[in-house]
Amino acid sequence: MTKILTVHFDDPKLHELETYRRLGGYEALKKALGMERKALQEEVVKSNLRGLGGAGFPVGFKWSTVPPEDKVPGPRYVVVNCDESEPGCYKDRVLVTRAPHQLLEGLLIASYVIGAKDSFIFIRGEYQNQYDILEKAVAEAEKAGLLGDVRIHLMRGAGAYISGLDTALLETMEGKKAWPRQPPPFPTVAGLMGKPTVVNNVETLSMLPFIVREGGEAFAKIGCAKNGGTVLFSVSGHVEKEGVYEVPMGTKLRDVLALAGGVKGGKKLKCVIPGGTSMPPLLEKDLDICLDFDAIRAAGTFLGAGGMIVLDETVDAVEVAHNIERFLAHESCGQCTPCREGSNWSERILERILEGKGQAGDTENLARVGENITGKVICALGDTVGMVTRAYITKFPDDFKKRVPNHG
Amino acid sequence: MKPFTDEQEKSLVAWTKKYPYTNLGLIEALRSVQGWHRMITPEAASAVADIFKLPFNHVWGVATFFPTFTRWKTGEKRVGVCHGLSCFLKGSNKAEWCLEKTLGVPKKQATPDGKLSWETMECLGACEQAPALQVNDRLVGPATDEAIAKLKDMK
Repeated sequence: MTKILTVHFDDPKLHELETYRRLGGYEALKKALGMERKALQEEVVKSNLRGLGGAGFPVGFKWSTVPPEDKVPGPRYVVVNCDESEPGCYKDRVLVTRAPHQLLEGLLIASYVIGAKDSFIFIRGEYQNQYDILEKAVAEAEKAGLLGDVRIHLMRGAGAYISGLDTALLETMEGKKAWPRQPPPFPTVAGLMGKPTVVNNVETLSMLPFIVREGGEAFAKIGCAKNGGTVLFSVSGHVEKEGVYEVPMGTKLRDVLALAGGVKGGKKLKCVIPGGTSMPPLLEKDLDICLDFDAIRAAGTFLGAGGMIVLDETVDAVEVAHNIERFLAHESCGQCTPCREGSNWSERILERILEGKGQAGDTENLARVGENITGKVICALGDTVGMVTRAYITKFPDDFKKRVPNHG
Repeated sequence: MKPFTDEQEKSLVAWTKKYPYTNLGLIEALRSVQGWHRMITPEAASAVADIFKLPFNHVWGVATFFPTFTRWKTGEKRVGVCHGLSCFLKGSNKAEWCLEKTLGVPKKQATPDGKLSWETMECLGACEQAPALQVNDRLVGPATDEAIAKLKDMK
């Protein structure tokens, strides 16, 4: 299967500049610097590259919304979002550990297109090992004169999941509580310190060297309609071989599961969470769904950040829903009342059900609490609170029936 | 009494200058304070506020928002076990129980010698090494009984 980001992953020294360059690294940057910025942006538009941090927003289009320098003079910034922390997602950690220069090359290309002289890598504080790797890689690239007139700043987070959301990330960087902003304006217009700012995920930026080298069309051809290139899935849970797998966009769920060796111990599959625990689960009957942003959406769930969790038949859906709601309640930033209160209510109701104290009307209450959050809050975390409980109640009614009197 | 040594104060001032805007260094500065004091006291937050020329309320708001910053004193080695879904499926409950038994203290309480403390943490981004164990922001690997037993001798 075609690979882009992980193609050289069997080289144990890929993280070193010397090795990365020997394998053709930084040639794309050289090529990019000799091209018109407009033409480069066109290539990215043609590539159908989507934001791989979870939102799936077309990258070329995002970049095109940065106002031109003659209209809005002054600094503009590129920020790398390396703050993955949704349960199930760990691809950024692997990408930074194995191929830090691939990310830096992509970042430098993006900085050139946007016209950023200061670029930032915001990395979660729990990734201290990866911070060290990046620090070393930036120093290597600087010494080799590869940064040109761009300064790359590293910055660590402080343990909040919500900092991974672009506008909350900018607030964190600015030394504030990680409260998401209500757009518009979008960060490309008014981002870091009110300046035009492009926030892109590690995986997204790492794709750029290939797009520059081979052209946007070649990248688009690898994927499927409107979803160019490949995508990384970090697979965990009840599978034989946990790990990160790179597949072309639009690959069937069944095939990704097969790459990971299938369900552990030959047990039966209960469900697969495709993109991180905020995404509603898919069932055995959904295994032929194509994994790209649009097809998976039609199936009622999301690609998210490719954090795939496989659950076997022994798992209790109430326990799963409770675990996810506990996470969301802990990570709710508290800015919007429906989410702050509702996530805690959902957790408490599920905890009560788990303790064998379920009451008639509990599942209806969970659905009602959810409906009062989804669509009534600033960010997607709140939307998720309602979506997750509803999904598990509808898809696994028997698990709830066992514990809640008079359910359904 | 001043909450910081001269050297510490110097490094906090350095964070105000590291990035294109002063405030961009605040989270990193508070991370340093957490590292030195193993907690953030109102006195320390107030001194940081003075250095960054910010109101105390702003800094205290930030210090009490992020899970990395604590109002209780962590151990010199701050141990975290992940209890996100993948880690839960692989027995994070058992790892919690083992941590409490091995270290002899409940979660969020340092051992009497101040060397160790443990707590559950939200997703550590290591779902393939579930249940993930970390010490001072560095991933150690799966929280097996053996890995937990070794924590006491870890340098």
